[in-house]
Amino acid sequence: MSAVVPLTLAAAPARPASRSNAARTEPPLVRWTLIGLAVAFIVLLLIFPLLTIFHEAFSKGWAGLRTAYSDPGTLESIRLTLTVAAIAVPFNALFGLAAAWLITRFDFRGKRLLEVIIDLPIWISPVVGGLVFLLLFGRQGLFGPWLIDHGIKIAFALPGLVLGTVFVTFPYVARNLIPLMESLGRGEEEAAISLGARGWQVFLLITLPRVKWALLYGLVLCNARAMGEFGAVTVLAGNVRGLTSTMPLQVENLYNDYHMASAFALASLLTLLGIVTLILKTFIEWRTRRDLAAASAEIEESLPEPIPTP
Amino acid sequence: MSIRIASVNKSFGKFSALRDIDLEIRPGELLALLGPSGSGKTTLLRIIAGLESPDDGPARIEFDGVDVTTQSAYERKAGFVFQHYALFQHMNVFENIAFGLRVRPKKVRPPEEAIAKRVHELLELIRLVPFAKRFPSQLSGGQRQRVALARALAIAPQILLLDEPFGALDARVRMELCQWLRAFHDETKITSLFVTHDQEEAFRLADRVVIFGEGRIRQIGTPEHVRTSPADDFVRNFLGFGEDMHPGAIV
Repeated sequence: MSAVVPLTLAAAPARPASRSNAARTEPPLVRWTLIGLAVAFIVLLLIFPLLTIFHEAFSKGWAGLRTAYSDPGTLESIRLTLTVAAIAVPFNALFGLAAAWLITRFDFRGKRLLEVIIDLPIWISPVVGGLVFLLLFGRQGLFGPWLIDHGIKIAFALPGLVLGTVFVTFPYVARNLIPLMESLGRGEEEAAISLGARGWQVFLLITLPRVKWALLYGLVLCNARAMGEFGAVTVLAGNVRGLTSTMPLQVENLYNDYHMASAFALASLLTLLGIVTLILKTFIEWRTRRDLAAASAEIEESLPEPIPTP
Repeated sequence: MSIRIASVNKSFGKFSALRDIDLEIRPGELLALLGPSGSGKTTLLRIIAGLESPDDGPARIEFDGVDVTTQSAYERKAGFVFQHYALFQHMNVFENIAFGLRVRPKKVRPPEEAIAKRVHELLELIRLVPFAKRFPSQLSGGQRQRVALARALAIAPQILLLDEPFGALDARVRMELCQWLRAFHDETKITSLFVTHDQEEAFRLADRVVIFGEGRIRQIGTPEHVRTSPADDFVRNFLGFGEDMHPGAIV
């Protein structure tokens, strides 16, 4: 079987070694202007704001930071964010695997449509997503009154937070797995079945090991998105302080209350999360490329040793 | 083991891949399924293995007189060698071969030493003992093919199904593996079916040849019989009579 290229992870082609190719090189003035522009934009739009966050977070020193993180509302927001992520991420792992399996291993009517629908949360505004669920589960919603009568509160409560988060993070795992599983094909799974493996053994021993990095990649992105989500959860869970204020919402609350240092302290935690995600993502990409390189470095057959007849 | 196939039909959408296939395979036979690509031979092989199910209807597949039509692939345990080997890329050669033994239910799973012993025997059989720790990507095409064969043999299958086993190999390796397979078959007498579009390969290797065309069996017979008396124009055309066919060169 040929080396398999996971599309989402390793689609970036190797940089062509074109330094020696004079025809492709621009004049120094053009080159430095372009590089200068790019660097200026990166510094102005990415690095400078990032540094500002940490600078503001430390504006009142360690003591200020300690005060910020001893605020019960802030602590509660961290706990809430972790809770929501801990529910939404595993859910999406399960859903993503199931959807990818379904789409890449079976043929059925409406398959392409399902793929498009899975992508939907990426294309529509999270606020709209939040509104839709509010229309379904809110007090005036379609199922809201019935649910509330039975003691189930979804909007403006933890279930609403989870629902909104699951909605916006829906596509991440599936989108990463589908192209990879499609390119891997069914061959190895069929081989495993013909050797007597059951469905779960095929999944655990063959499929999962082959897609684990793509899965992890999807989960890391999903987690970052889950912890940073603002729009859908604001609409659906209403930013009720101490009840449905997750970290991004609490940042806004603190900011509106003129607690700048506290707001930036919490924002710096979110930023750190982003940076950790970036590092993890880079590491996973590096691992995947390395696996790929190993897989594609096929030793070509020179002279195979003769086979004895039994 | 004997295999009996009766009234098997298979269609993919509007395309009819197999039509009314009836075929009996004798115990210990080495049978070639020969035909142009798209003639349904691989589909039949996959149906026998249980990787594909025949269309609803009176279809029946028997192994040694036992109806296995509704059995799943893992119950049938036919040794299957895939066209592109389908080796487990994330496992080394040893683990690839051991796989079929490791996935057995606890009660019938051999102990670790027994697995190691069996894998070692197979590695000796395919002459790849020093390659046990290598990964499939580090093997040549011929070596991969042999690992695929050893992996299929590890579960001691009653039948061996090979899909274009030598299709992706160069002429030299192909010739060697062909001779090896024939010798291996003569030794073990495992009922074996192999799919090929190469008539020379089929005639050289097989006890009997089944010629497929457009989803139907056109002729069944020994290589001599098929060569000397083709059943119809399709077979005659496929075998290339009147063009560059030299019957004497094959034997």
